[in-house]
Amino acid sequence: MAAADDFAAVLRRKGLIAPVPALGSNASTTAIVAAQTHATTVLAFKFKGGVLVAGDRRATAGNTVVYDRADKVLEIDRHSIMAIAGVPATAWEMARVLEHSFQFFRRTQLQEMSVDGKVRALSKLLRDNFGFVMQGIGIVVPIFATYDATSDPAARLYFYDAMGAQFEVTDYAATGSGSPVVRGILYYENHWGKKPLLQLDEHEAVTVALRALDTAAESDTATGGVDRDAKIFPVIKIVSAAGITTLADRQIAALFKRSVAS
Amino acid sequence: MIEEPYRWVEAVANRREYIETQLAPGSAIAAVSCAEGILLAAVGRTRQKLFEIYDRIAMGAIGHPGDIERLRMAAIELASTEGFTRSAADVSLRRLAYYSLSPVLKGAFEQVYGAPYLARLLFAEVGNTAEEDLFLRVEYDGAIATNGGVLGTARQAFGALSGTHASTELMETFLQREHDRRSTLPRAVDVAVNAWTIGSLALGEAGIRELPDKAAIADHRRKQLAGNVIEAVLLERDAKLSVRYRSLTDEELQPVTSS
Repeated sequence: MAAADDFAAVLRRKGLIAPVPALGSNASTTAIVAAQTHATTVLAFKFKGGVLVAGDRRATAGNTVVYDRADKVLEIDRHSIMAIAGVPATAWEMARVLEHSFQFFRRTQLQEMSVDGKVRALSKLLRDNFGFVMQGIGIVVPIFATYDATSDPAARLYFYDAMGAQFEVTDYAATGSGSPVVRGILYYENHWGKKPLLQLDEHEAVTVALRALDTAAESDTATGGVDRDAKIFPVIKIVSAAGITTLADRQIAALFKRSVAS
Repeated sequence: MIEEPYRWVEAVANRREYIETQLAPGSAIAAVSCAEGILLAAVGRTRQKLFEIYDRIAMGAIGHPGDIERLRMAAIELASTEGFTRSAADVSLRRLAYYSLSPVLKGAFEQVYGAPYLARLLFAEVGNTAEEDLFLRVEYDGAIATNGGVLGTARQAFGALSGTHASTELMETFLQREHDRRSTLPRAVDVAVNAWTIGSLALGEAGIRELPDKAAIADHRRKQLAGNVIEAVLLERDAKLSVRYRSLTDEELQPVTSS
């Protein structure tokens, strides 16, 4: 019975989250899907010290900026981060389900869930959500960064599509409306920059991330850059063998002043 | 037949005797408050007896593994759904035990046509201070014993669980005398393993009924530790952590295992 249930199944059995909607009930919704925005920019890349995950702070509804301190880089457990682009309500709920799923698994099964299991769990949540996406609500396109501490210790990075396909990347990933620009920058840095992303130290990596977000904010209205008056900086987190480190605002501010704002 | 009231009382009494006999060899579990949090300890060789239930709650159990598993799953599921729908701060051991587990256990115990749960559970919930630590012992019939703290009485800084009532009571007498909630972890580990030793000595028909002297405790403890391992977990008091449960490292247990 309960031993076989994952946590999402427990929640559905108890009616605590929405049931999985049927797919294909309305074929004419594809136009709406195309129009759905996932207005934001989050990016992640591997560097010498692990994986860096960064996201801007702006939340929008259509043309309106509704919130300028949104946190789109969410800690799921001691070694995993989910960075979200898409509808916040769905995305945050997914992050909560995921966080509880990993703990529920550890507590019931008396062992940590494998990295593959965790990656797959997010994939399944996206897949279950696809009916809502087809109805024109609740699209989420996340990035998942984690550190595999077990057999072959390594930082691992994945991006997903809205249907739940997962893609492991070797270098970098970006999602959201500002991501084409960011992907361009990261590709350029990785191939023709001073050194490949994997060889950057923490200072250099944060600089690249801040510059990429600044560039995205330049042309994408849905991406908030750095608000110097209100001192609102992007959220930057680093996943490594030691766990997750969140960079303090003053650290980012200093680097921003030195390497970006000049 | 047991449709008649006195037959039912007889059936329940028989069932109680049967369960007590089944549980009687159950090896002890000691839980003590200390500065670093709550330490739970057991000594054994075979199966795991201490489990994580939720962020601040741990469980120790003796009894039939199948029944322990059902109760453990129920507790984790209840705590997890509560923590998900509301918040981790709304998950409380008191509510979990009194409103969910106790009625289920009592129901199973008194339905004399069905199988009862062959298990005794000891729960611990770490508070912000040692004075707020909660220990609950939940019996197979749904009865609950707490470490006090109601109606203005001071809470005891420990919880104990063993196969027989005599053994549990002697452990409590020992902990009442020897344990101080202001202890640090190394001292708490030592006291908990001594409490386990008392519990072990008090089991069985020939078990002790009075606290033995220090030498007798040390002697029995040394013999037991030679062939067994200590299972110990800590519910950390550190409020910066969301998940407080962790196993003790070999280094932390080293002073006791090498003594």
